[in-house]
Amino acid sequence: MNKPDLEARLARLTRWLVSLPPTLFLVVFFVAPSLIVVLASFRHPGEFGGLAPLLPWFGVDSGLTLETYRFFFSDFVYLEIFLKSFGVAALTTLLCIVIAYPLAWLIARSPSSRRDLLVLLVILPFASNFLIRIYAWILLLGPFNLLYTSFAVIAGMVYVHLPFMVLPLYTNLEKHDPALLEAAQDLGANAWTRFWRITFPLSLPGIFSGSVLVFIPVLGMFAIPELLGGTGDILIGNLIKEQFLDNRDWPLGAMLSIMLTLAVLALAGFSAWAGRSRGRTA
Amino acid sequence: MGGTQPGADGMKPGGWLWAAALGAYAFLYVPLAVVVLFSFNDSALNAEWVGFTLNWYDKLLHDQEMLGAASNSLLIAVIASTIATLLGTMAGLAMHRYRLRFMPFLVLTPVAMPEILLGVSLLLFFRQVLDLTLGMFSILIAHITFSIGFVAIIVRARLAGMDESIFEAARDLGASPWQTFRRITLPLILPSIVAGFLMSFTLSIDDFVITFFVAGVGVTTLPLQIYSMIKVAVTPEVNAVSTLLMLVTLSLIVLAARFAPDVLKGET
Amino acid sequence: MKRLYAAILLLLSAQALAEDTLYVYNWNNYISAETLQRFEAHCSCRVKQDYYSDNEEMLAKLDAGAAGYDILVPTGNAVEALIRRGALRPLDKALLPNLRNLKPEFMNAWYDPGNRYSVPYAYSITLLGYNVEKLRELGLPTDTWALIFEPRYLAKLKGKVTVLNSQRELMAAALRYLGYGVQEKDPAKWNEAKNLIVRAKPYWASFSNSTYIKDLAIGNIWVAHGYSNDMYRAQQDAATAGRPFSIGFATPREGAVLAVDNFVLHKSGKRPDLAHQFIDFMLTGANAADISNLIGAGNPNGAATARIRPEIAANPAIFPPPQDMPRLEMLRDFDVQSRRILSRLWTEIKVR
Repeated sequence: MNKPDLEARLARLTRWLVSLPPTLFLVVFFVAPSLIVVLASFRHPGEFGGLAPLLPWFGVDSGLTLETYRFFFSDFVYLEIFLKSFGVAALTTLLCIVIAYPLAWLIARSPSSRRDLLVLLVILPFASNFLIRIYAWILLLGPFNLLYTSFAVIAGMVYVHLPFMVLPLYTNLEKHDPALLEAAQDLGANAWTRFWRITFPLSLPGIFSGSVLVFIPVLGMFAIPELLGGTGDILIGNLIKEQFLDNRDWPLGAMLSIMLTLAVLALAGFSAWAGRSRGRTA
Repeated sequence: MGGTQPGADGMKPGGWLWAAALGAYAFLYVPLAVVVLFSFNDSALNAEWVGFTLNWYDKLLHDQEMLGAASNSLLIAVIASTIATLLGTMAGLAMHRYRLRFMPFLVLTPVAMPEILLGVSLLLFFRQVLDLTLGMFSILIAHITFSIGFVAIIVRARLAGMDESIFEAARDLGASPWQTFRRITLPLILPSIVAGFLMSFTLSIDDFVITFFVAGVGVTTLPLQIYSMIKVAVTPEVNAVSTLLMLVTLSLIVLAARFAPDVLKGET
Repeated sequence: MKRLYAAILLLLSAQALAEDTLYVYNWNNYISAETLQRFEAHCSCRVKQDYYSDNEEMLAKLDAGAAGYDILVPTGNAVEALIRRGALRPLDKALLPNLRNLKPEFMNAWYDPGNRYSVPYAYSITLLGYNVEKLRELGLPTDTWALIFEPRYLAKLKGKVTVLNSQRELMAAALRYLGYGVQEKDPAKWNEAKNLIVRAKPYWASFSNSTYIKDLAIGNIWVAHGYSNDMYRAQQDAATAGRPFSIGFATPREGAVLAVDNFVLHKSGKRPDLAHQFIDFMLTGANAADISNLIGAGNPNGAATARIRPEIAANPAIFPPPQDMPRLEMLRDFDVQSRRILSRLWTEIKVR
């Protein structure tokens, strides 16, 4: 056997050795569970909760069924909650953009010596546990009687997700060429025009990344509505949690999770497509 | 180059921009400052300032349940981060070096998905397929699963930023792949491996949603303990543990930032 | 690293085996600390308790694979569920001589004929607690569900009423008020109940399972839908705090839910011997009386009656007289389909 052959075999072996363990782990503990969820959504609920058996068993429904899907679509209330969750996610994203933009711009326009510090100052609150950040709002809103309201939920959502908007936005703004703005100024444009017609359009990819990083997690949140919201402030995440940990209606919970997954995939797909097409025209 | 009048141009930040940015910083910090401040408050109600005390910290250090939860969190974080860093580094190398089509999707999706989906799928998998009693093992697996992606991103980013010519030079000089790895690649990516470990550690210590679904009874982590305290009876002990936890994760993030400054800017 | 982990594990498990420990999974505040201490002295063992705040939570945790509890304290419908799943260990009656202390009307219940698995421990009624002075001042009745469902009364109580955050309990109250049974499954009647609830909801301050105790006792809330032993506690709290008002509680005349909680042995428990000892201990008159004296719970133990404080024993909302019994119903679990429909109804109630 000559050296190149041995090398080639070694290279292939290394390739397997390096790629296999993480792949195997994720296939077993991520892909397989995801498929289980899909399967579970088509099963009957167990008599005492959980799932009914797949194979025929005495006296109980078994096997697969579309019943859960029919149940979901037969009443408007679940769809209402989905729509509401999308609305909350959209509002949160919007507010994050509005609050994050000046901050990101400030950081981007600061001298580079200070920039790292300013970025770190944005990340630091993120260092606290997510529950602590919610708890902080429980303390703040309690005395003002704003606790357990929709306002509280939005405030909590924005607070927890703000850094996800600041960072991509700042990364984008940092890359803007000051010469563009200079040129515009020389041509007589005022500050507002310069912002609206140059900075803002150029920052859209950053806004986009940030929006995706905010929108998707918000869709799945349950702790914030549960701890800060009133009894009517239920979102998809709360419904899912309720099915698994309170009602023990696992097929319904699985089905809701799939709906959520599809929504997320659709959004991710859309943002990938939009990012690509923007890349082409930029 | 450009004017220096504040507000007159788009380059130097104007007064209103400063105000808005400062407002945003205040928005970020005031709530947490309140938590920290009231951890020293000599009153069981988080309502008004009564006096300074370290009572709550003392109570905290004698709270058996809390200490148990903290040690669980620590143990889980150490073990999970170690394994996740190992697997994640491999994944990062594989993604960069071998460009397998499915790898990025497989590795990054757990990171992108809402946490509740991962928690639910693992709950179903553990109970239905493995008939596993939820506890330490299930939590470990869950934490490793979501951390692999983060480590992989960090390592891959570092590899992508490296100059390929170095590897070519090594090959020309007759180095075997293993030698190249051990003496060139590894030292170069070591900072990102460390950063990855620190990030996984932080994520594991802080994780709430996924742990909530797969923890079962008997094993509590710090976030779960805090959650039940918030739900049942809120005392400034919660403030105290929050402050301490903040300090710990803070130091870890600062450390991580030292090792991998580019990654924290949110580029993938 | 793995060796370190193994060593730690070994250390922790050794610690656990070192003592005789009885693991109990119980409601919050359902056994007094003194009773537990007395048992620990009596058996030379330790008792370790974990808590749940409702049956659903307990069942969900058991579904999640929780194991190692010797004793659980489920309500009747949960006992039935556990028996049917085969999760319980049968009782060895030879080890429970004090069983004869129990009143016959609480034995042989529908959920466990022959008491093969369960021993009744305490019971409570889901009823209305109220601020006595305030309601007298407003001229409102205190013995009817109308107090929380009728706008003409609610108008005077706006923002001062809480109801239980429980599907079955709130629906049961509405169904009894409308004249139906709590096990009613007819969707039309459920809708009637739902409309009743949704009509009253704007007047309610919140849905609450436990904070109402404190809120009643400090005067934030004037009427609360809740459990009789919680109301007793609120009554005591208000009295000891020297409030200018007192808390009363009464079973509405239209009927209410009776909940009997029982000791059962979970089959994953490691010390059935200690568990039997515990149950027999709790069945003695003295120990059984504790739960009534300390938390105002109804007591199925006949030997305890003499030791229960007279004001508690005479309270019809804690110890219902025989003529009240026909109006008290226990909740039974529904079949899967009905449970689903009910939970969706509940979601609608919350969201509207």
